[in-house]
Amino acid sequence: MALRELSSLEKYLGLKKPNKYSTQGDKKVPVLQNNNGPPLVGLGTIASHLVKEAKRPNLLGDSAESRAVVQQWLEYRVTKLDGCTKEDTKAILKDLNLYLQDKVYMAGNQFTLADTFMYFGIHPIIVDLSVQEKEQYANVARWFDHIQRCPGVRHHLPPLVVLRNRIYTSKHH
Amino acid sequence: MGFGDLRAASGLKVLNGFLSERSYIEGYVPSQADVAVFDSLSGAPSADLVHALRWYHHILSYSQRSSLPGVKKPLGQYGPPGLADTTSGSAPSAPEEEDDDIDLFGSDEEEDEEAERLKEERLAQYAAKKSKKPTIIAKSSLLLDVKPWDDETDMKQLEALVRSISMEGLLWGQSKLLPVGYGIQKLQINCVIEDDKVGTDMLEEQITAFEDFVQSMDVAAFNKI
Repeated sequence: MALRELSSLEKYLGLKKPNKYSTQGDKKVPVLQNNNGPPLVGLGTIASHLVKEAKRPNLLGDSAESRAVVQQWLEYRVTKLDGCTKEDTKAILKDLNLYLQDKVYMAGNQFTLADTFMYFGIHPIIVDLSVQEKEQYANVARWFDHIQRCPGVRHHLPPLVVLRNRIYTSKHH
Repeated sequence: MGFGDLRAASGLKVLNGFLSERSYIEGYVPSQADVAVFDSLSGAPSADLVHALRWYHHILSYSQRSSLPGVKKPLGQYGPPGLADTTSGSAPSAPEEEDDDIDLFGSDEEEDEEAERLKEERLAQYAAKKSKKPTIIAKSSLLLDVKPWDDETDMKQLEALVRSISMEGLLWGQSKLLPVGYGIQKLQINCVIEDDKVGTDMLEEQITAFEDFVQSMDVAAFNKI
């Protein structure tokens, strides 16, 4: 799962030579063997490295604050989202919904790695959500739909119908 | 299209609802559409309109708004479809004059206007829904078996008579003759009907009215489209 995400990220960044990844441990933490230095371990670490290699540092956030937020969400993804139980998902979605209420992107005002990896991580959860639940977490739904339409992000994942159909007019709020 | 009067609470509410599932006014990147709506707002939306506020702060963060892609269209072009475009009459270059006019007539006019607009919006949405989406009209495909009296009945004329039945919501399709036995053939004909307008018993009545030719009619197959 993580390896596919990393190769999707490489495609998005336009990196020409795909890297060879291996995994370690039973949690299948991705490892990138670098020619010059020690191996890079961990999804967040490797992703940040790829972004710098592709010379797109803005994907990590354009201000110190947003950089910190991006790192925070990458951490969140690895620690809380991967391998969470069914009960956890409700709490996670609630948190996310509240967080995304006044934000268009996860960190700052532009698309960052935080959006990419949270999108990859949340996708399997959203697949299982019913229509009512998607309405309940309307902000997550809106953000999710927005991110999956950003060019070059979606790659290996199928597009999901997230937003309710137009039978409900905006009057019903 | 249009949000109604964006300086009034009703227009802002429409904007909020519109933005509850969208990040931008048009499409998935910020564009002149956002700038157009942004410029028409007199200030930040109130805190209870969370989605409008989120969008407002996001657009505010773009310092070079004039460099966003797209072409600015008049305000009435944006917004939820089906909403009556109430901005088409107003001249955007002379908002002060409009205000004066409204003052002359007093605040009652405004309230009536708003109620009118809401009614118009709802009617327009309802009409738009009804007219824009023919796929919502329930249709069914029927296969009818029309049986003649005997083998001497002229099947071609029988078919011509059946096809002559015309009703609103009824479309005749292909037909073929199937032998039943003893030289008798039955006419199997397809038709597509709109469920609301045509019923099978109506059809049956009309077909069996040709008593000289038709002995009976059956619905061989009924499929919802």
